[in-house]
Amino acid sequence: MTGSLLFQSLVLGILLGGLYALLAAGLTLYFGVMRVVMIAHAAFLVLAAYLAWDVHQRFGIDPLLSLVVTVPLFFLAGVGFQRLLIARLRPATVTMMSVLLTFAVALTIEGMLGFVYSGTQRRVQLSYSAASIEVFGAQVAVVKLIAFGLAALSLLALYLLLTRSRFGQALRATIQHPQAARLIGIDTDRVAGYGFGLGLATAAVGGAALSLDSTIYPSLHWHWIGPLMAIIVVGGLGSIPGAAIAAMVLGIVQSLLQLPLGTTWAQTVFYLALFATLLVRPQGFFGGRLAQRF
Amino acid sequence: MALVVGAAAVLSFPLWSPNPYILSAGVVVLSYAVLSTSWNFVGGFTGYMSLGHAAWFGLGAYGTGLLIARAGVPSFLALGLAAVVVAVLAVPIGIAALRVRGASFVIVSIALVLVLLLVFQSWRDVTGGSDGLTVPRPFPDLLRPQHHAVFFILFAVLLGVALLAWWTIDRSRFGLGLKAIREDEDKAQSLGVPTFAYKLVAFVVSATFTALGGGLYALWFGDLDPIFQFSILLGSYMVLMALLGGVRHLFGPALGALVVGVAIEYFKVSYGDTQFHLVATGLLLAAVVLFMPDGVIPAVQALLNRFRPQQSSIREVSAAELREQVKL
Repeated sequence: MTGSLLFQSLVLGILLGGLYALLAAGLTLYFGVMRVVMIAHAAFLVLAAYLAWDVHQRFGIDPLLSLVVTVPLFFLAGVGFQRLLIARLRPATVTMMSVLLTFAVALTIEGMLGFVYSGTQRRVQLSYSAASIEVFGAQVAVVKLIAFGLAALSLLALYLLLTRSRFGQALRATIQHPQAARLIGIDTDRVAGYGFGLGLATAAVGGAALSLDSTIYPSLHWHWIGPLMAIIVVGGLGSIPGAAIAAMVLGIVQSLLQLPLGTTWAQTVFYLALFATLLVRPQGFFGGRLAQRF
Repeated sequence: MALVVGAAAVLSFPLWSPNPYILSAGVVVLSYAVLSTSWNFVGGFTGYMSLGHAAWFGLGAYGTGLLIARAGVPSFLALGLAAVVVAVLAVPIGIAALRVRGASFVIVSIALVLVLLLVFQSWRDVTGGSDGLTVPRPFPDLLRPQHHAVFFILFAVLLGVALLAWWTIDRSRFGLGLKAIREDEDKAQSLGVPTFAYKLVAFVVSATFTALGGGLYALWFGDLDPIFQFSILLGSYMVLMALLGGVRHLFGPALGALVVGVAIEYFKVSYGDTQFHLVATGLLLAAVVLFMPDGVIPAVQALLNRFRPQQSSIREVSAAELREQVKL
């Protein structure tokens, strides 16, 4: 194994980690506002990727442009999802039951995708699909760079929204202490709905990025949800920086391990990290009080 | 009395089933009943919902199959050995998984299936990978319908043993401790229930019964593929069946298995290979979670209770019900 090959996979790992970080941030938002573990997150990701592929196939426009439609659409779907489904569950069992409910949604989406688009593997073919540029001696596909850029921009936007805006303050207050937030006049139900919408919007962005450089098929979401779940547990449920760091680290490790072990075995690193975390620090490496309880 | 009639009706099914296909569907439904009842040792008593119980099913099936095919162990000895191996494996995995509660536990259980799927697909030399593993039949001389009939009885016996074990635990002090964990783990612990040990025992018992179900399935079906043995879908079926029937009731999971199992077999026959069964499973699970989280049996009981004199003051109340009563 040469040094340049190692460097190449390091770069690829960082690019992959960026996408993981964005999606894990979405998962963390759901968990933060509602204590909901959204199994259907990856299913929505694949759904968005299919929509991007469909738009490209039908109208010949760039899959990235599908974002203009899918992001608002997914935001609204997220708000509706929280209002119409999650809010109906009993407060005492919401964490457990919401897992089952979102799991059911994931199955339904997978089935519908198979129904509408069939199980055939799909791939977007673009004029710049094969192009690659050299970054410090590593060959990196342009589409991967675009995907990373998209993820990084969205994460930055999310960060600014959460830290700089009034809505972000209300959202963080809701995450930290819903009751206290209600007492100072925050409509936590509405904020929780918007939090859900934001989370689902990250899936829309991720889906467009995914459609650029990977082959998609209906059951693909199982390949994503496992690693993503592992990331948020390792990072500590409810901690966005924790999720981002865990996503980066695990993404890089996975990419580096692909060289000696191959793709399938390299994926096991997420699960090993998950089980190791449980044995050493069950609340995750960055999680606080929140993670221990759930 | 009703119990005897019910058992007789189940056991005599091979005699009055109209054709071998229906009989084989009966075996499948019965195996679902075994699995969801086994799942209920953890899900029903402790309230820890495992979506990944297919892991134990797959390990039991592959354990049995590998022992027969690679080591030449006699069929039913292999089944027992595989169950012992799974029980031993379930201890460290349970220690890791039961350190977290609620949502994290569900995540861990899903991760367990996904990682085993990866391992069994990749480890081609031993497991045969995606090409599958053929398990030699235990009774090579039997014709197909007789083979189904024999396994129908075997699954029925296993179901009986599992139900008996659940019933025994349900009435024991141990079971009471487990139910205390379900309602409020912290309070149970402060009252002196050794929560971790209790959870672990329930977890291992559940895994062992699931593995027996898996091993028996391997002997019956004779052909294993990681995609189908370590399938999230199978794990979700177990949860769906148990929830639909009612996790607090002895026969709840088996009843749910009857409904869901028949539905699944029907969908497979009518719609074949399309993804329709995924949509149907998803919608059904969502409906159960939203509208009947306690299952069919309590829903029907509540309906009947309206026409009966009011209950006495001492009865089991769940934490969720209590909270709702306080609110009123």
